[in-house]
Amino acid sequence: MFKGAFSIWNRDMLVLRRSLFTELLAVVASPLTFYLAFGFGLKGYIANVEGVPYTVFMAPGLITMTAVSAAFDESAWSMWFHRKVQRTIEAYRVTPITVYDIVIGKIISGFTHGALKGVAVAAVIFLLTGFRVAVTHLAGYLAFIVLGSMIFSCLGTVCGTLLDKPETIGKVQAVVIMPLIFMSGVFFPVSSYPAAIRGYVTAIPTTALFEGSRVALLAGSLNGAYLAILAFSAAVAFAGAVAIFNRKIEE
Amino acid sequence: MESALSLRAVTKRFGPITAVEDFSLEVVRGTIFALLGPNGAGKTTIIRILTTLLRPTSGTALVEGFDVQHEGKRVRRLIGVVPQENNLDRYLTARENLLLQARLHGMAPAESRRRIDELLELVGLVGRQHDFPDTFSGGMQRRLVVARALVHRPRVLFLDEPTTGLDPQSRRAVWEYIESLKDSMTIFLTTHYMDEADALCDRIVIMDHGRALVDGTAARLKERMAHAHVYELQFRANAERYEAMLGGFPFVRSLRRTGDTFRLCLAGEESLKPLMDAIGTDDIRKLCLLEPSLEDVFIELTGREVRE
Repeated sequence: MFKGAFSIWNRDMLVLRRSLFTELLAVVASPLTFYLAFGFGLKGYIANVEGVPYTVFMAPGLITMTAVSAAFDESAWSMWFHRKVQRTIEAYRVTPITVYDIVIGKIISGFTHGALKGVAVAAVIFLLTGFRVAVTHLAGYLAFIVLGSMIFSCLGTVCGTLLDKPETIGKVQAVVIMPLIFMSGVFFPVSSYPAAIRGYVTAIPTTALFEGSRVALLAGSLNGAYLAILAFSAAVAFAGAVAIFNRKIEE
Repeated sequence: MESALSLRAVTKRFGPITAVEDFSLEVVRGTIFALLGPNGAGKTTIIRILTTLLRPTSGTALVEGFDVQHEGKRVRRLIGVVPQENNLDRYLTARENLLLQARLHGMAPAESRRRIDELLELVGLVGRQHDFPDTFSGGMQRRLVVARALVHRPRVLFLDEPTTGLDPQSRRAVWEYIESLKDSMTIFLTTHYMDEADALCDRIVIMDHGRALVDGTAARLKERMAHAHVYELQFRANAERYEAMLGGFPFVRSLRRTGDTFRLCLAGEESLKPLMDAIGTDDIRKLCLLEPSLEDVFIELTGREVRE
């Protein structure tokens, strides 16, 4: 069962190992810039946020953002590249593995990229700054990262499956993914929104992800409602990704 | 004799376009079969149906007795596919490409290693096995794709225009591999190179507009043209002017030009006199009657218009 998915994941990890250092270097640069620019540049202007210094408030969101963005990027570009450029998806499809193997393999690869890159950013923030958390909080935080990476990996798979032009994937990143991430509590708490729209923002899965993961990492408490939203979203995204992939490759 | 492949009244439509219409075919096990046709004839659609990549709109397709629609996984265990375009993984070395294929077929590691060594030897890529396909010539990439299709010892090998874009030496090399496999599997190839079909295949079907037009050995298909009047006509000068003239005659059924030499198929021997009356003899260097080739059969059946 899912031996094919494992083989595809294994292939992706072999390719990742070959360029691990440059991949991690590239992925660390952007969140670290945000951390240094906003965390230290605005230090004098921003007091504590929700009872913690701004650099501490921001760190979990940046780590989560790196993980889910990497999951989206890897899944979207990898699926697009294998489908449209290398056409290796077609090579996989004439072997005894199923379409479920292909899509699950790609989703898990995206998720692994996200997890590794999130860890890399966390390590750099830990090493370079005074940001520290209790080890006991990590398990709860990882639950959010796993679900978040899964959702973004599925979304990436859907984009890589449906979109034929690479520039369209770039537009989806700019118009959908980045606003979803930035407006959901990475840099400011959702409580900052006007009361009239706060309810809507809270219902977005990315708010559950960023708010929930931050509280899990900093305070060690798990928000059940947020976890439920993420688990439900991950299930829907996975079913959607599999169904869309299945339908698209039949065309 | 048992069939390796059966297509029974297969139709495939893409919206309003009918790519394959009511197509039936039996391919006997252990033979090399060629499907010929111009671009857009429906050859690739048939290969995609037989390799489980497309579902037919109606009809049944069987590979070694297994239904491609309902027993796709069993079918895919038995087939090897060389697609029109090289779809190698450029981020894996030649050996890793073969290894991934072995894994996707669930082969044991020791068996994979042995088989991959054997195939790299067969296709002459042992010395380049740790290099990436991007560094290979077109012919080497093609050989690697053929090797990949053979990793799991398929019972039916599909080759979709296997030598398109290759230089003559590489084409000959691919032909040699195909011939060497003849005894161990059924080979189904599509091509629009007549010499390829003529040299390799036990049986040929020419198709166009989604339908089979003729079926037989290369010799039998050429016999169909025995009544045809194929001439080679060479001009000393004004080849362009003569080309336009020849193309305009209703009794010229096919016309091909190579430099100042034309190969033309006339509707009958009575057409020769009006032809000579029209073109005169001033510029003619050579005129001779030819044996019809498979290409003449092809052009005769599918017409001479360029397809989009």
